[in-house]
Amino acid sequence: MTTAAQAAVTHRTVGTAARAQAVSKLYGRDETAVTALDRVDVDIERGRFTAIMGPSGSGKSTLMHCLAGLDSVSSGQIWIYGRDGQASELTAMKDKELTNLRRDRIGFIFQSFNLLPTLNALENITLPMDIAGRKPNKAWLDRVIGTVGLEPRLKHRPSELSGGQQQRVAVARALAGQPEIIFGDEPTGNLDSRSGAEVLGFLRRSVDELGQTFVMVTHDPSAAAYADRVLFLADGRIVDDMSAPNADKVLDRMRQFDAHGHVDRGDAAQR
Amino acid sequence: MLKASRRNFFAHKGRLALSLIAVVLSVAFVTGTLMFTSTITKTFDRLFATTASDVAVTPKTDKDALPGSPEQTVPAAVLDAVKTLPGVQAAYGDISTERLAVVGADNKAISNATGGPTIASNWYVTPHPAVNLTSGQPPAGAGDVVVDADTAAKKHLAIGSRLRIVTDTQAGSFPVTVSGIATFRTTNPGASLFFFDTETAQTKLLGKPGVFTGVNLDAKPGTADDTLKGEVAAKLGAGYDVKTRAQQEADGRNSVGFIGFMKYVMLGFAGISLLVGAFLIINTFQMLVAQRTRELGLLRALGASRGQINRSVRFEALLLGVIGATLGIASGAGLAYGLIALMNNVGLNLDTSDMEITVPAVGAGYAVGVLVTLLAAWIPARRAGRITPMAALRDAGTPGDRRASRIRNLIGLLVLAGGAAALVGGAAAGANGGGAALLGLGVLISLVGAILLGPLLAGVVIRVLGAWLPAVFGSIGTMAQRNALRNPRRTGATAAALMIGLSLVSGMAVVGSSLVTSATSEMDKTVGADYILTANGGLEITQEALAKARATPGLEHVTENRFLNATVSGGTGDGKMAFSASSPTMVQDFNVRTTAGSLNDVFTKGGIALPEAEAKSRHMVVGSVATVDFHGGTKPVQLPVLAILRDDTVFNHGDGYVSLDTLGKTVPADRLPAVDLVFAKADKGQQDQAYQALKSSMEPFPQITVKSQTDYKKLIHDQVSSVLNMVYGLLGLAIVVAILGVVNTLALSVVERTREIGLTRAIGMSRRKTRRMIRLESVVIALFGATLGVGLGLAWGVTAQKVLSGVGISTLAIPVGTIVAVFVGAAVVGLLAALMPAFRASRMNVLRAIAADG
Repeated sequence: MTTAAQAAVTHRTVGTAARAQAVSKLYGRDETAVTALDRVDVDIERGRFTAIMGPSGSGKSTLMHCLAGLDSVSSGQIWIYGRDGQASELTAMKDKELTNLRRDRIGFIFQSFNLLPTLNALENITLPMDIAGRKPNKAWLDRVIGTVGLEPRLKHRPSELSGGQQQRVAVARALAGQPEIIFGDEPTGNLDSRSGAEVLGFLRRSVDELGQTFVMVTHDPSAAAYADRVLFLADGRIVDDMSAPNADKVLDRMRQFDAHGHVDRGDAAQR
Repeated sequence: MLKASRRNFFAHKGRLALSLIAVVLSVAFVTGTLMFTSTITKTFDRLFATTASDVAVTPKTDKDALPGSPEQTVPAAVLDAVKTLPGVQAAYGDISTERLAVVGADNKAISNATGGPTIASNWYVTPHPAVNLTSGQPPAGAGDVVVDADTAAKKHLAIGSRLRIVTDTQAGSFPVTVSGIATFRTTNPGASLFFFDTETAQTKLLGKPGVFTGVNLDAKPGTADDTLKGEVAAKLGAGYDVKTRAQQEADGRNSVGFIGFMKYVMLGFAGISLLVGAFLIINTFQMLVAQRTRELGLLRALGASRGQINRSVRFEALLLGVIGATLGIASGAGLAYGLIALMNNVGLNLDTSDMEITVPAVGAGYAVGVLVTLLAAWIPARRAGRITPMAALRDAGTPGDRRASRIRNLIGLLVLAGGAAALVGGAAAGANGGGAALLGLGVLISLVGAILLGPLLAGVVIRVLGAWLPAVFGSIGTMAQRNALRNPRRTGATAAALMIGLSLVSGMAVVGSSLVTSATSEMDKTVGADYILTANGGLEITQEALAKARATPGLEHVTENRFLNATVSGGTGDGKMAFSASSPTMVQDFNVRTTAGSLNDVFTKGGIALPEAEAKSRHMVVGSVATVDFHGGTKPVQLPVLAILRDDTVFNHGDGYVSLDTLGKTVPADRLPAVDLVFAKADKGQQDQAYQALKSSMEPFPQITVKSQTDYKKLIHDQVSSVLNMVYGLLGLAIVVAILGVVNTLALSVVERTREIGLTRAIGMSRRKTRRMIRLESVVIALFGATLGVGLGLAWGVTAQKVLSGVGISTLAIPVGTIVAVFVGAAVVGLLAALMPAFRASRMNVLRAIAADG
């Protein structure tokens, strides 16, 4: 456990959007059990862009899924904090409450297949609010659509949009409901570097200009460079926490994982 | 390749299960019908084999005799004449008549619920009797009767039970006591048998001493039946029918022709459900092929030929067909067994041990099951063969909006237009102008057209039908509607399956309700009589009963009607037609509409009235003189045509009229046909009292039913309803198969949309809403099917009514209740069909769903 991670736990809750405490996730049972997360403690800061990185199998996606209420934990607790500091414990919620939480307080951007093929771009953007039976905030919606530059494409079906445009629709959908946190699971993983940069630019602006909290899993150092903070996972643990990253620093750090994706212990101990 | 398809088949067995059920159900219905009817046929065959004699002599069959003309007999002299022939071992005077009613202690006729006949015979001893006396004594005098064991058991009769026998001879009715119980040597399918001593049977049942209804002969050993027949025919001349055992058995089989009819009706319905099942199979295979596009593309890339892919899909179909047919045949045997048990419950006596799994039934089961499955899989197999190796490289994704081809739509439109033209033509032609044939053609062609146009119509109808969905259910509604529209071909085929059953239901309902409404309104317009008396059980309304009816207080008059055939010639044509011979008060009881002349003249001036069609075919008009040879008359008579009747009538349709007086002048009293319909009219204001009085004065005649106009209307309504209910019941099978089709489509759609559903769940759609979305889609598809079905059914029903308007179904009545019920039923069907798929969709693991491949 690094000192940085311990420091994160002591942050005041007003500045915290989500918190995981001693979260473990095991797949399978008994001898064949695989530990995906091993007693992870982490705080996600409000109004910041956090990237989660790590080699394949490090548990980075699992951590995000657990934080987002998509997956259950084996032990430990997860909270999401409202803008008023009110804590909601995800790990104590039933499916129905989790569903409502996802609908009302969390936004998602997946790597691919973000949109329903039967709905047009605008309908896809407002879908979570439609499901909830809420009227979208018109001014906000216009601003979001304006930010991602989708006005001319609103009536198009997903099949009529390029991959980059589809991801921008997904970003707009995530932003439209003004969720407390948006989670992205390699949101630019399927895009060429230009489209990816475009989408990440929007996300960065949404954090800077709209005060959005954003958590993204990625394996791309240049994507992680857009973040305020990068958490490195290996073997189900947080092994490093880097602030103000740039692509080179991240790439360097990633090189410290050995060929099997395990942490080079000696190097970690030095820090 | 075969190994691959076998593996595939079993890998997808869950998805094939519903198709399998459809094959099983249809095959079960076919084989069950065949086994059931063959069991009945076998039972009757064995019965006829035991009741037939080597050679039987009966009176010459009178083809013109209508039910109700006097029973034909042979004199005892015939028995004496044939007794001594060289080939005769033994000769028996046989009496067998259905002209009686047996009344129990409760003054109700003993009859079977199935309407099995009540047969009276004379008791005589032969070495090969059809029944054995199992208890008591044979009938020894006028007060004794032996009853068959099945009837005794059903009606709780025992030796010593008192019964009353009602006849329409001079003997009237007389009391008897059960002296013995006789048991059939084979299964008796449902007749009630009563045995009297010969003299009683002759004098009281036939009304004449020394006559029989036939003579049965046993041939001497070594004398062939045909040889004996020749001897007998030579001795008696041409005045009698002489039949060998084989001929009697064949006659018996013909007399139960209804079994054959029933078989074809049931097979027809089995065919409908097979057709519906075929849609299900087509859909299933199409979906399986679509899902396996990538896999099949890989096989092509690895070098599998088109033909191999094609064959592998067909081989799967073959497996499905063989397994389905095998299970179906087994279920069919169960179904036949159940039907036999059911028949035993309603009074038809069959023995389940007579049932056998026949080769034709099994053969038909396999043929039908395998052929239909193979044919249904033909198109999907071809499509599978056309998959390119490139498909393996492409991202499979969900099969997008595969637009229904323009050519198909164009052909569909043309066919539907052709069907509509045939229907319109049929309606215009009417019953006499070949309208029925055009109607049949129109039904068939418009059905094919609707099936072809299904995908196009899905787009139009569901957009309209579903317009309210987004308004009521918000985005859930939008998604449900668009999902239903997503693959119009699949939605079209699913809905078409439902459409077939529902179109028949609504078409039949329109015809049925039009028939009831027309008959009721015609009764209001034409029937002036307050009461209608009819006789059941082969009996007539006797003179004794008629006299009692006439003496009933509160009645203004009583009209008797006898029905008979006559040959009417004159003008340029001749031929047989039916006549109603009635009392003059007929004109007050029954307002027969004429196109020319006056029916009153027929009764006052002594002539005949002819229906328009009969008059036209003979080129007769009012004033023509016809030569009429009444059945049973002494000689043809010349009678003037005094009225021409309209053809569009439900009652006495196609009958001519003559007065009883005129008929009495040419037909001797003992050859007059029976009175089997009597009208009565009450004095003004006495309707209720007279009804009660008439009912009580008819009490001693259990064979006579008294009906008021209201009763009669209800009877018509009930009869039509029971026929409709039976049809609906049989169509139920087709509808069940169609429901399986909806379940199948939804289930496979849910599988295909795993990722989408996962996504919506991830962004906050609750399980409840997920379920609702699937349910709404299902309801939309079902309602679409109902819309098509009701639309077609209405078109057919209206055309049928127009075709039949010339023969009496003059009023069109749309059964709004039934149609509303069809729509409500369809919505319920949609909800039920969505139960499992919706449950599965809502229980999907969100993460796994999102990660799912394609």
